Amino acid sequence: MTSATELPAPAPADPGTGTTGLGTSPLRTDALPKALGIYPYAADLWAEGLLWGAVLRSPHPHARILSVDTAPALAIPGVHAVVTAADLPAGPDGTPDGAPTGQVTADRPVLAAGVVRHHGEPVAAVAADHPDTARLAAAAILVEYEPLEPVTDPEAAFHAPPLHPDGNLLRHLPLRTGDPDAVGEVVVEGLYQVGRQDPAPIGAEAGLAVPRPDGGVELHLSSTDPHGDRDRTAACLGIDPDRVRLVGTGVPGATTDREDLSFQVTLALLALRTGRPVKMTLTRAESFQAHTTRHPALLRYRHHADADGRLVKVEAQVLLDGGAYADVSAEALASAVAFSVGPYTCPNVFVDAWAVRTNNPPAGRMRGEGALQACFAYESQLDQLAKQLGIDPVEIRRRNAMTTGDPLPTGQAVTCPAPVGALLDALDTTPLPALPLDDPEADWLLPGGPGGAGDPAAVRRGIGYAVGMVHMLGAEGEDEVATATVRVSGDHATVICAAVDSGQGFATLARQIVQSVLGVSEVYIAPVDSDQSAAGPSARSRHTWVSGGAVERAALMVRHQMLQPIAADFGMSVELLTINDGKITSYDGVLGMPVSEALEGRELWATAQCRPHPTEPLDPETGQGDAFVSIAFCAMRAVVDVDIELGAVRVVDVTVAQEVGRALNPRQIEDRIEGAVAQGVGLALLENLRTEGGVPVNASLTGYRLPTALDTPDVRIAALLEERDVVAPFGAKAVSAVPAVVAPAAVAAAVRAATGLPVGRLPILPEDAIAPA
Amino acid sequence: MEHGGNLVNRTIMLPASVDEAVEALAVTPGAVPVAGATDLMEAVNAGRLRPAALIGLGRITELRGWRYEDGGTAVLGAGLTHARMDRPDFAALIPALADAARTAGPPQVRNVGTLGGNIATAAPAGDTLPVLAALEATATLARAGGVREVPVSHLLTGLDPLRPGELLTWVRVPLLHAPQVFLKSTGRSGPARATASVALVLDPARRGVRCAVGAVAPVPLRPLEAENWVAGCIDWDARGAEGAVLIDPAALAAFGEYVAGACVPEGGAHGEGSGSAAARLRRTVAVLARRALGRALK
Ligand SMILES: Cc1cc2nc3c(=O)[nH]c(=O)nc-3n(C[C@H](O)[C@H](O)[C@H](O)COP(=O)(O)OP(=O)(O)OC[C@H]3O[C@@H](n4cnc5c(N)ncnc54)[C@H](O)[C@@H]3O)c2cc1C
Repeated sequence: MTSATELPAPAPADPGTGTTGLGTSPLRTDALPKALGIYPYAADLWAEGLLWGAVLRSPHPHARILSVDTAPALAIPGVHAVVTAADLPAGPDGTPDGAPTGQVTADRPVLAAGVVRHHGEPVAAVAADHPDTARLAAAAILVEYEPLEPVTDPEAAFHAPPLHPDGNLLRHLPLRTGDPDAVGEVVVEGLYQVGRQDPAPIGAEAGLAVPRPDGGVELHLSSTDPHGDRDRTAACLGIDPDRVRLVGTGVPGATTDREDLSFQVTLALLALRTGRPVKMTLTRAESFQAHTTRHPALLRYRHHADADGRLVKVEAQVLLDGGAYADVSAEALASAVAFSVGPYTCPNVFVDAWAVRTNNPPAGRMRGEGALQACFAYESQLDQLAKQLGIDPVEIRRRNAMTTGDPLPTGQAVTCPAPVGALLDALDTTPLPALPLDDPEADWLLPGGPGGAGDPAAVRRGIGYAVGMVHMLGAEGEDEVATATVRVSGDHATVICAAVDSGQGFATLARQIVQSVLGVSEVYIAPVDSDQSAAGPSARSRHTWVSGGAVERAALMVRHQMLQPIAADFGMSVELLTINDGKITSYDGVLGMPVSEALEGRELWATAQCRPHPTEPLDPETGQGDAFVSIAFCAMRAVVDVDIELGAVRVVDVTVAQEVGRALNPRQIEDRIEGAVAQGVGLALLENLRTEGGVPVNASLTGYRLPTALDTPDVRIAALLEERDVVAPFGAKAVSAVPAVVAPAAVAAAVRAATGLPVGRLPILPEDAIAPA
Repeated sequence: MEHGGNLVNRTIMLPASVDEAVEALAVTPGAVPVAGATDLMEAVNAGRLRPAALIGLGRITELRGWRYEDGGTAVLGAGLTHARMDRPDFAALIPALADAARTAGPPQVRNVGTLGGNIATAAPAGDTLPVLAALEATATLARAGGVREVPVSHLLTGLDPLRPGELLTWVRVPLLHAPQVFLKSTGRSGPARATASVALVLDPARRGVRCAVGAVAPVPLRPLEAENWVAGCIDWDARGAEGAVLIDPAALAAFGEYVAGACVPEGGAHGEGSGSAAARLRRTVAVLARRALGRALK
């Protein structure tokens, strides 16, 4: 394998002047099949002689398992296997009932043994010849539980008896910088609450496991981290990772990890047990139980500012409810702490943050985990400060806005572009939406929707602003790396890269990169499987950077191989040659040769890696350290209409200004922003997986309210600022997470402006928006 | 029909007339009628219902329309879909029912969900139910060998419920030729179930106001005293006159409070939480009732 460092630094490709390549907006190739409903997902897979899997889940949020009797299930005709924790191989350190697993922290059993820690935790699984038989058999398994008192209040977790051998404190991270005794002329305090948002992917979990002759297993599912999932699955099954192959299928919606580990390990175990292919598709109700949610959060803030509104000191306490298992809580907590002040400078910052274990549904990765919760709190605080000081909310943000080079409270200097003030300025270049009252012809969709009870006389319009930030790539010393191979033969190129296009558009981007570098228009993106080199998970806004970077380097290496002989022939350097529309031309126009001719029937290929500069863990005592590779920023203006008598809120318009480094595919960026805003609006007004005593009470698509087209505002892009991030491939920043981080805060600010109410919790319920006339 | 195998090997009958349907119901043990299936399949999928046989009503064309009777009554087929009731010709006849049908779920559901299914399901948040209560509608129930007529409110309260073997065929609604309003509060802009709803109809011939509150109790509630009181506050003779003030705004607001007080009980003495939830619901009902009467009298 060639390493990128050996590359003789060729000139970057011509930046997208043509109709393909970087900077243009080709339509994704999966767009049409998806719209037509013919795009294949895991739920569509089939194999000769397959069996159907079903999972038995705990009806209790916390209970001791006294006994499990699988005999009644096995007695049902058509049942081929029933597995429990006892069927898992012992863990590496000899732990019976299987090795624990998990993202970041491995503390979660594949199948519960001895104790269940959350409602819906898998206890056993069945393979049968019909899906109904499998479900009936799962229900026939006799489990004797001794219900235990569930710990559902995260504040109680500190003193509650340990729910897990690892204890209830998943992480405590303090941050101390500056003078603790500093005081400002004004002080504002607030308590903020964020509910439990579910990723609610449009397609529920599904997969097919096929046993291999070598004793291994092939898993077809919509994993967003094929290699990570392969390794963790192999570890749980006690077999060599090389004998587990993950084949990526179409991803039906992912703003988080798919599928959950317990799902794929169980599926693989059933296939190995029966020697037959096993397929499993979860019902919607199960899906809500099977995947992790956003961390519910409680944030207590105190801001000190001088009379001009400049921040003097920020004190905060942050509590994240991690639910039953650790998952990525430690990472989420680091973001919440590092971004606790937001994109503002403040000399004195004192934060204490905790992520705790409870018997609530486990929380995990979801766009801007940690950063989102903090953004709602610090932006609410700035609104309060503005109100107290009589300063315009945009002006107070501008006065405190950080710029490139300013430090985070963690001590890390923000070396990437941080044009926070410019983003705020850009918002107001887009005119506000008209008030339909002034225009009787306009169709005014009142809060409450068409045919609702809305009354124009009771509607107040509010305009709110928010700015926010989130880091890209793994943090705190995580090794970030991706590998890609690019091959050219004839008139087309192939990209082999195990970066899953989870809907974020990576396949389209990879095609554009290769088109830009190699000038070939036909680029084939190979389907992803774990036998390819690893590219890491589709999470943490990383693929544009690491996998895009690897694809570019591999393509540049191929380019060099292709042009080197020609340049030598003509006695000029490679840099003087360009490739466009499948044709190689020299700077002076003397040479004009089709790529296929230059290849002379050869096949050229290269493999390269991209590994960004390393980071370091935050100091456990002071929260100091260079923990992040780069940071994305976004500013938003939300316009809402509130029926102040009924408390109904409609988001009319969200205008976005975002720092993207470089717009590699403007349409795709707009799509991503629109989607993220919709998700943010959902969290702001509708989405909350409520629990009672640890049991979700609205785990269905009727009960869990997702935004529909009528709830989703017009999204307008005021500006995509393109200040290149010099250390990033292409200078580009990831775009999807930061608008989701900022949107809830912007909506809350707008509701505040409309009602004059403090608005301290998300989602904002009707009762939080009823105001005196 | 194939769904998760739940209905595999079960009988599905598709009668073409009411007679055939009631006959099929009588002779098939455990048979359940199904119209749009928007409620029924939800129950089947959730495992709450495993019908032995299904009697599809979709081919009974006579039940998918309406007719007139005695000049003053509309006789509505149980198979009328929400989408059909939302069309202008129907909306001109019974505006409040059209309003309710327009908000009863997303378009896909309203295209197949029916009036009969809404009544038979009798969900607290069923949108047509308060309208039917305010209109004092009656229902025709057919069984093999006979029919009977029951007030819809008796069906809903269980005073005189739908009996096994009975099919809901027609709903009789008086034509009042006066403004009617249905208002629903959901707390969102997209389709959703009501957290509270108010149906209000004017009956100028009898100088009456009839009102029903939905979704706050298992069945729609009629605030009879508030209706009588407010009927006396309306200047009925001024109706139709240009620029006439039909009611004092203070009376509008008082009506809202009156209705809310009658339909949403004080929160239980224990626990501030339940008390404040009740207070919020009462406030919502008061606003809806006030707005409904205000719109009816505009
Ligand atoms: C996504 C969604 C959103 C919804 N939103 C709303 C809403 O906002 N407001 C609302 O009111 N409803 C709503 N509903 C519920 C449902 O659509 C309505 O109640 C609808 O009117 C039911 O009619 P149907 O024809 O589909 O009934 P079905 O599902 O076919 O039947 C429901 C029940 O009625 C019985 N039945 C049907 N017809 C007859 C008959 N003629 N005689 C005797 N029994 C009969 C059936 O046996 C069954 O028990 C929603 C449903 C869904 C799935």
